[in-house]
Amino acid sequence: MKKLLSMVLALTLVLSLSGVAMAEGNTQVFWYSLSDVYLSNVRTSLNADFTAAGIEFVDQDANATQTTQTDQITTAIATGTDLLCVNIVETGADGIAQNVVDQAKAAGIPLLFFNRSISEDVVKSYDKCCFIGTNYEDAGIMQGNMIGDYLLADYEKYDLNGDGEISYIMFKGDEANQEAIARTKYGVENADAKLTAAGKPQLKFYDDSNAQKYLVDQNGTWSRQVAQDYMTTVLAQYTEANGNMVELVIANNDEMAIGAVTALQQVGYNNGEGTVTIPVFGVDATPDAVENYMKPGFMAGSIKQDYEGMAEAICTISQNMIAGTDMFANLNENFTVTDGWKVVIPYAMYTGE
Amino acid sequence: MQEPTQLLVMEKVSKSFPGVKALDNVSLTVKAGTVHALMGENGAGKSTLMKCLFGIYAKDDGHIYLEGKEIDFKSSREALDNGVAMVHQELNQALKRSVMDNIWLGRYPKIKGLPIVSEKQMYTDTKKVFEELGINVNPKTIMSTMPVSQRQMVEIAKAVSFNAKVLVFDEPTSSLTEKEVDHLFRIINMLKARGCGIIYISHKMEEILRISDEVTIMRDGQYVATKAAQDLTMNEIIKLMVGRELTNRFPPKEYQVGNEVVLKVENMTAMYSALQNVSFSLKKGEIVGIAGLDGSGRTELLENIFGSANRKEGKLILRGKEIHNRTPKESISNGFAMVTEERRATGIFSIMSIRDNTVISSLKKYLNHHAYLSNKAMAKGTDWSIKAMHIKTPSQSTKIRALSGGNQQKVIFGRWMLTQPEIFLLDEPTRGIDVGAKYEIYQLIMDMAKNGKSVMMVSSEMPELLGVCDRILVMSGGRLAGEVDAKTATQEEIMTLAAKYV
Amino acid sequence: MSELNNSAPKKGLAQKFDDFKALDARDKRSVIGNWLLDHAMIIIIVLLVIYIQIQRPAFLATASIVNIIQLTASRLPIALGIAGAIILTGTDLSAGRVVGLGAFVAAILLQKTGAVGRFFAVGDPWPVLIVILLVLAVGAIIGFINGFCVAKFKLHPFIVTLATQLITYGLYLTVSSAKQISSLDESYTTNLITAPMFKIGNTPVMMYVALAAIVTVIMWFIWNKTTFGKNMFAVGSNEEAARVSGVNVTAVIIGVFALAGVTYGYTGFVEAARMGASTGTIGLNYELDAIAACVIGGVSFVGGIGKISGVVIGVVLMQLIMSGMTFLGISGSITYVIKGAVILIACAIDMRKYLTKK
Repeated sequence: MKKLLSMVLALTLVLSLSGVAMAEGNTQVFWYSLSDVYLSNVRTSLNADFTAAGIEFVDQDANATQTTQTDQITTAIATGTDLLCVNIVETGADGIAQNVVDQAKAAGIPLLFFNRSISEDVVKSYDKCCFIGTNYEDAGIMQGNMIGDYLLADYEKYDLNGDGEISYIMFKGDEANQEAIARTKYGVENADAKLTAAGKPQLKFYDDSNAQKYLVDQNGTWSRQVAQDYMTTVLAQYTEANGNMVELVIANNDEMAIGAVTALQQVGYNNGEGTVTIPVFGVDATPDAVENYMKPGFMAGSIKQDYEGMAEAICTISQNMIAGTDMFANLNENFTVTDGWKVVIPYAMYTGE
Repeated sequence: MQEPTQLLVMEKVSKSFPGVKALDNVSLTVKAGTVHALMGENGAGKSTLMKCLFGIYAKDDGHIYLEGKEIDFKSSREALDNGVAMVHQELNQALKRSVMDNIWLGRYPKIKGLPIVSEKQMYTDTKKVFEELGINVNPKTIMSTMPVSQRQMVEIAKAVSFNAKVLVFDEPTSSLTEKEVDHLFRIINMLKARGCGIIYISHKMEEILRISDEVTIMRDGQYVATKAAQDLTMNEIIKLMVGRELTNRFPPKEYQVGNEVVLKVENMTAMYSALQNVSFSLKKGEIVGIAGLDGSGRTELLENIFGSANRKEGKLILRGKEIHNRTPKESISNGFAMVTEERRATGIFSIMSIRDNTVISSLKKYLNHHAYLSNKAMAKGTDWSIKAMHIKTPSQSTKIRALSGGNQQKVIFGRWMLTQPEIFLLDEPTRGIDVGAKYEIYQLIMDMAKNGKSVMMVSSEMPELLGVCDRILVMSGGRLAGEVDAKTATQEEIMTLAAKYV
Repeated sequence: MSELNNSAPKKGLAQKFDDFKALDARDKRSVIGNWLLDHAMIIIIVLLVIYIQIQRPAFLATASIVNIIQLTASRLPIALGIAGAIILTGTDLSAGRVVGLGAFVAAILLQKTGAVGRFFAVGDPWPVLIVILLVLAVGAIIGFINGFCVAKFKLHPFIVTLATQLITYGLYLTVSSAKQISSLDESYTTNLITAPMFKIGNTPVMMYVALAAIVTVIMWFIWNKTTFGKNMFAVGSNEEAARVSGVNVTAVIIGVFALAGVTYGYTGFVEAARMGASTGTIGLNYELDAIAACVIGGVSFVGGIGKISGVVIGVVLMQLIMSGMTFLGISGSITYVIKGAVILIACAIDMRKYLTKK
């Protein structure tokens, strides 16, 4: 009886494979992580765009591990796919991206990098290769400017302890990610520039003993939970009663910003009418952040990464690559093509109004 | 004839544990070419004495001499290297490995000059030892696939293979059948002839009187006496051991077996074991013994009735109604209870308390509002069991492993009594239990019968079957070889039946 | 592994067939059933391959086969190392992070002279042989610490290796500041680890496949032919019996973990070259795949049971799933479901072999 059961199990295993919807797999999309919120918005749009354009595709998950992704790409090349769309895991090391490009080049398969940045040299080493992304510094620069303007509108209101300085906390999404590094840098520097131009002192990191001046998600997942845990811990020590309350929250993305808001809400802040609201800034303007946090006024602002535009650009270029025509033909004119290798999707400020 | 030399002398050995004096000036002298039996109830200090010899415990005081030279082993390996070996009561074997891997464990022969184990040499050496001892086991067999008795023989062969001068046998026959015991005794006599000194620890007095030359008796960590075996009788030994006279080894029967047939078993045949076509019936208040050699299907019969083994065919009729007993759970709800053979492995939950061990099979009874367990109710149930079973324990929260074997067994009896069973299946209920405690177990079994329960009891000890049961079924080669009346049968009669289908 | 065979007298095929014919229908069924169960993993692999091949004829093309072999080669050594810990009824969670550390050590010592952002601003790449020995030593040291804590402090390997996993990663982050180390020297990458050995058709087979084969042979030898290997099985099967028989149990446990550490160091050395860089995510969660592969391959957590061939089959099956899913075009989300189901079902079927039938 049990033997029969195990046979049935084995059979189910094999049959279950055939039950799953299968695509021809002409185009393989390699995602850095399926659980990333911004990317899942891109994915939803892209899947719809691809389907509309009649492109057969498969989504693969690297689960934030470069080795997994490289193995997936190698396997896909062995299957003889038509196009590789890569949202690379490791953005800091050219060697890894170069390794991927070399493999695609050897097999003659067009390669499209998107979202997570790749250096110019790597992309240019292969003629059927391009990068679709943002000027990654722009998000941080824009966020910094936004923060500066926001604070200057009512400086005294945000300086809770009245010491003339605004103390801030910074959440970094990933220690070694170039975008994270840039956002962490410009988010503060550009705000400082605005403040000093208006005769105010620079922002002050809430914890003097932290020389890094940021708290980082050590798993590199830009996670809401990590930011919330940090913030809860910080708020246990830094309170209005102690006169050292954190007066501004800057986060590398909306997920971490939401985590901080949740922690603030748990101790009675950022709950709308009748409560003190600490300004919290993120990046991405994800639907969750917009609908549930910015519109009710819990979060001060975000920088919109245009995920629909990103998907549109990927889809258009994919069609061109598969057809073998000029990569950048028929591209929406909002997107600028830089130097023949990079398509820039612009950012926009977003405050929930 | 020359006086045999003194091979091993232990002189005034003492050992204390916090709060207990486990050994108090105990002396033991083993002469070359003799079998020296060491007797005493559990807790008398036999094991502690041996552990001091093997360096598992460091003795506090006293001297040990081997062939006139003072020794003080630090580990059992050192003892082995000096020709002192032990066959452990609890088989300490790597069950997933082969027979020869076990025998040469810790001293694998190597191919000369290379760090490579020589399988070939291991095989031939094992064969040689087995041939010498007349053991018929393939050296490449995996231990776990063999019955306990064969594993025991392997353990003995291992001790012999060390060319030991002194061999300690700790309850070597507890899992052997009569035939295998004969085999073991032949081996022991052979070792004796070679001039080895043998220390033989056992509870079975018939054996002791048969095999040993001298007997040392211990009680409560103290030396009581050393006597020549031929001068002793069973009653004397018991008197020395328990410090009082035990006139009867079995309680008197003071009840009548009923006429009502409670259980009928028809054509019981097992799926994976040799058990086939066993049919019999069991009456209310009857104690039916099941005799036979090891591997004759005794345990398998109980397991098939209880649903812990897969049945191929067979019918169970309980009071005229067919039941299935597909799983132990179903059997329990049909009023069956089973006490398993290997108490430590499948009976007790050793690190759990007496209370937890007692109520585990009847937890539903102690649910308050059908939701949570009531400590009060469980304490009450356990209290009843402790009283009814005469369990000697400091408290309900004592861990069961702290109790003696006999008391552990009583806890298990109590556990099953709480499920209010009608039919008790007992597999070797007195294995590894002291003489004194055995009597109490027999009394419990008879009390059950007296209260109208029916009992089936497997045992390798024929006197026990003859003394306790009403009727004895004899198994042979998986089949039922015959049935005898316990009041009139003899051991010879049973042995003849047991050999019928071998 | 012949010593595991219960050597019943070997029968000729014809004799076996006659025996089989003599059985009644019911026993015949059970003989067939048992045979199927005993070879379940191989059967699953064959069915899987046949199914994928029917769906996607390119599956058994040279490029794809070589790819699967190479993927297997990259994950095999770590599984062989962890298998030892499992045989001791333990586990090793530190594996992945030790791989990462090994990759880092190899990468910083073998960066090209004058590479941009070189970890050591000046200097030349070290001789590869010295680096590999050093990396193996790093793995061995962490393994030694694992084994020492398990054997001496009687801690469960789960806890010990969880702790060393965190410590190893922390050390790595501290020393590396999470920087990626790329621009690795050719003497290490394209001239050694990823050097093509020979070509099958147009597809080159890389050197690390041969290295993995050598590691496997060495491990087979250690497991089956040395005192240490036999003692490892004995300790896993019954630690107390081994101790009483005079086996130095502490040394065996330390040895098994240290040997496992060596395989992690080796894997790190290969992975950095394969990826072209050392990064923080190299090795992440490798131990989980390796443990799954071992268990699929019949290395039991019960202890004392396992074969090298089983581990190889387990790793192959895991890589087949990964590669097969890509071929079948199954999306990433569903891949997890299938992988989980395969692990569960494979282990359930395999476990049936070891259950005592009553």
